[in-house]
Amino acid sequence: MNTSDQTFDQTSEHNSNDRLAKTPLFDEHIRLGGKMVPFAGFEMPVQYPLGALKEYQAVRDGKAGLFDISHMGQVRVKGAGALAFLQYVTTNDVSKLTDGQVQYSALLNEQGTFIDDITTYRINKNEYYLCINAANRHKDVAHLKKHATRFDVTVSDESDDTVLIALQGHKAQQLLQALTKTNLDDIAYYRFAIIQLGDANAIVSRTGYTGEDGFEIYTPNDNAIAIWSALENSGAIPIGLAARDMLRTEMGYALYGHEIHDQVTPIEAKLMWITKLDKGDFIGRAAVEQRKREGKKLSMIALKLTGRGIPREHYKVVSGDKTVGEVTSGMHSPLTSCGVAIAYVEPEYTASDVLAIEIRGKAVLAERTSTPFVRSNVRK
Amino acid sequence: MSIPADLKYTKDHEWVRIEDDIATFGLTDHAQEALGDIVFVELPEEGRTVNAGDAFAVVESVKAVSDAYAPIAGEVTEGNVALEATPEKVNEDPYGDGWIVKVKITTDDTSHLMDASAYNNYLEEA
Repeated sequence: MNTSDQTFDQTSEHNSNDRLAKTPLFDEHIRLGGKMVPFAGFEMPVQYPLGALKEYQAVRDGKAGLFDISHMGQVRVKGAGALAFLQYVTTNDVSKLTDGQVQYSALLNEQGTFIDDITTYRINKNEYYLCINAANRHKDVAHLKKHATRFDVTVSDESDDTVLIALQGHKAQQLLQALTKTNLDDIAYYRFAIIQLGDANAIVSRTGYTGEDGFEIYTPNDNAIAIWSALENSGAIPIGLAARDMLRTEMGYALYGHEIHDQVTPIEAKLMWITKLDKGDFIGRAAVEQRKREGKKLSMIALKLTGRGIPREHYKVVSGDKTVGEVTSGMHSPLTSCGVAIAYVEPEYTASDVLAIEIRGKAVLAERTSTPFVRSNVRK
Repeated sequence: MSIPADLKYTKDHEWVRIEDDIATFGLTDHAQEALGDIVFVELPEEGRTVNAGDAFAVVESVKAVSDAYAPIAGEVTEGNVALEATPEKVNEDPYGDGWIVKVKITTDDTSHLMDASAYNNYLEEA
């Protein structure tokens, strides 16, 4: 056998000569038997001995999954000009946020295409906290610092000092509640609180990337093992990258480098709901408005295979003998028992055309569907 | 790691069981372990001829697409169609219910294959 498509071997996308970084939970992953792979410049667990499918099932079937996502970056934005600055560099309307609220958003360049997708946490009116993608960290921070010079604001990259643990699944709240006196019912969807957890403070938000109820926990490095071990000992199941990608793809959540990149605007990525053209000027706004007038260059669609096979990233979407697009994310969906895919196709092929995905030279018929591919259980 | 004594092995981690003029191919325990959860197997058509080293099936795990290579030459007589519904058999029982194809042997040259102890040494060296 020969493996030709290592989805999680991302060394080629980064500088493979760089030494891989380890998160503060690296020794825990080794202890738990994690199979470590290079990912976004880090050595991360792709799966544990339980295996990706059972890990996926644990999160979907009412247990709680424990994820180390410390490779992601965190940036603190502070100062009297914080709101004005974030209104200018992010797409969503930051003025709508109240203290303790989280907002999904994006950073665009002047061409209106993506630098990154992010979440913005409002700590108070002069202090915000951004969570950014690992692979984009240095690019994002440089971009933010470059534009910060025009505002009364400081931008600090806290990524190296912060661990990010996600706890996802129906049992997440029960397990986390055992570690804190703060009533977690008070943290609504896309809200957060700063609470004592383990030996230090943590930002705890009811957010996630799985379609299940759950939390994301930001805490200083030296508090990581205390929280991780407490959750693991109480029955949370460690989940690797493979299951994480299954969970997010099945929900149709966009992922930077797949659905979101520097060749598409929020119009193509179906992210106009986080792009507020009427909030005032921001980087990329003019270009997005122009794209809106000219029409989108690509349509993002969701496909479900009616034939057998597993769609994978970069597979062609065909209509008859014409290539009309490309898969950006694909998987075998355990819940629907079929292959599902997110794809970009030429805009004229979005309606009723018969589409297929080319798998090893064969066109496998696919029907249009919508995301999420399975029901979301987030607690809204 | 299970390595049955009655089978022959390739460096690419396939096994072959030879019974008269019929050979059965599958993936080794090591292979299924390395691949992780197998969620799809694409079988060859019956009647297809394969040479030793030809890709005869595609095995997909959650995270990767892999070719399986024929240990010896033959003509495909049967694919394990049960794997279409239960590809996880390759993980659960790689030398039994997880077999992939049977071929009618067209050459009896097995000199390039390893026996169980040679394959065991090969795994330990790797």
